[in-house]
Amino acid sequence: MAKIPIGKPVPWSGSRDTWLRTFQRLRYRIVGREIDQGLLFKLIIYILLINVAFIYLKPILYMVTTMVKDAKNILDPTVIWVPKTIYLGHLKTAGKMLEYGRSLLLSVTLAGSVSVLQVFSCAVAGYAFARLDFPFKRFWGAMLLFTFIMPPQVVILPTIMLFKSFGWMDTVLPMIVPAIFGHGLKGAMFVIIYRSFFSTLPKELDEAARIDGANAFRLFFRVMFPLSRSVIVVVVLFAFVWNWNDFYLPSIFMFTAEHVPLSITLARVAAEMAAAEGAGEMSVYQEAIKMASSFLIIFPLLIVYFFAQRWFIEGVERTGIVE
Amino acid sequence: MRGKGRLHAATQRKIEGSLFIAPWVFGFLAFVAFPLGYSLYMSFFQVRITVHSVVYTFLGFQNYKEILIANGSLLYEDLIPFLKQALMMIPIILVFSLLVAILLNMRFPGRTLFRVIFFLPVIFSSGQIVQEFINQGEGSLTVLQSLNIDGYLRDYVPAGWADPITTVMSSFVLVLWYSGVQILIFLAGRQTLSASMYEASRIDGSGPWNTFWKITLPGLVPYIFLNLMYTVVDLFTFPSNPIVSKVNTTNYGSSSALAWIYFTIILLFVGLTLLLYSRVDKALSGARR
Repeated sequence: MAKIPIGKPVPWSGSRDTWLRTFQRLRYRIVGREIDQGLLFKLIIYILLINVAFIYLKPILYMVTTMVKDAKNILDPTVIWVPKTIYLGHLKTAGKMLEYGRSLLLSVTLAGSVSVLQVFSCAVAGYAFARLDFPFKRFWGAMLLFTFIMPPQVVILPTIMLFKSFGWMDTVLPMIVPAIFGHGLKGAMFVIIYRSFFSTLPKELDEAARIDGANAFRLFFRVMFPLSRSVIVVVVLFAFVWNWNDFYLPSIFMFTAEHVPLSITLARVAAEMAAAEGAGEMSVYQEAIKMASSFLIIFPLLIVYFFAQRWFIEGVERTGIVE
Repeated sequence: MRGKGRLHAATQRKIEGSLFIAPWVFGFLAFVAFPLGYSLYMSFFQVRITVHSVVYTFLGFQNYKEILIANGSLLYEDLIPFLKQALMMIPIILVFSLLVAILLNMRFPGRTLFRVIFFLPVIFSSGQIVQEFINQGEGSLTVLQSLNIDGYLRDYVPAGWADPITTVMSSFVLVLWYSGVQILIFLAGRQTLSASMYEASRIDGSGPWNTFWKITLPGLVPYIFLNLMYTVVDLFTFPSNPIVSKVNTTNYGSSSALAWIYFTIILLFVGLTLLLYSRVDKALSGARR
């Protein structure tokens, strides 16, 4: 493992001092000067990381391997993980049960529009909180924190009544409209993220732009917003993913709608299957179909994440998301 | 003349700022403040929705009394065990995410791959998918079952705590899944600690162990508390939370009262967190001086 450097005095022949120094060097090799150096630590790190990575990957692997098993493979006790043949029929069945085309379109519309709106409106609010002056700023800052803490359940009932009176039930509007104003699902968190990012930018930026005669709007649209590219990536991805997965709000606002986002169709399919099972219709395919529908739902997200992942990780590193 | 001009500039800046914050403030009033006040109002009434109108009958604190005293099974038998669970999950999530964030911050071959994998929970932990996985029994660690820890727990831990502990352990993997955002926050926070500080401590002969306790951990204290707050808020809207589904449209009045009781509990938790933070922060800044 650890090598004694060639060309240095052999440890035991020298004085106590050199022996100590060599021992120190050996120790650094194994244990490391800092945690991220040294072989022993590297080994431990890899073992830890691979273990945890397995925990995270296992359900996905399980999902993918289960959904391609046909009846023979499901009943075959020698097949645990890897099926002997690949069968794609479950994906088709699941796609039909989920009404995949329409639900996908609805989910993309919902998550896409909310994330685009939130990225923009939360940036405006975050910018105002970080760099502009307005009356009662401290009070509104406290209210921002309050909004972040408050669970949606506290306001959900009056909100239902409000949107019902607008006639917006069973549409996507109850989710989209609050996003225009920098609210919506976890909107307060995005405002906080933007605020901490904008407050790290140097003051000279404002001064230079103001001397050049730019007003606050030009300054924001031409300088500040483009500068926040890395935060934008983080917020877009979060907003998209959370809105895509969110079950609570759509289940309240559009449960009786004919066409619902994917997150709800999954629950509907599961309920249908449970009912079928209750009626005595046992099926060996149930598990596989459930996994296939789960896969169909997170597959678009995996694609988005696959492409955004580089900027996302960079963005997290660069911005220091939070102050 | 000059003074007047400056005053004018200050007012102008205020107007600009107000214009920028106006949409958010409007949204706050419409989607937070108004519903909040209204639900507080409803919690003191019996609300009956008829075809033509909504009928309110004043009840005073009766809705609250019903939930807190008369019919306390929901609050005491469902919520309290959940809170106990939450109390145990919070430290696990925090320690685990801190550990992972520090590991991911190191330089080693294959780091990018691990980062990609470790951010996966951010994608699928918020959805129904996880619920499906729990139903599959994917959440448990088989090691714990084979060691028969349940049996020991029942023998040595008070009965009120044994059940929450077993629940947490049987969904241990789930706890790890819910650490996605926390890992991100810690990783981002770790970037704010300057490299020169680490260099200085290394030159002064500090080992990795000391460096962690003396530099990394104190530097991350604000993020630990931010994560604590995020986790608390997140846990209270957890899918397995018994309250979430109980706030529904079958009874507006008592649902509102329940939501408010619940909110008070959350505020208590968050307030406790903030108090703790101010204490720790004061102690740390005292030590720095």
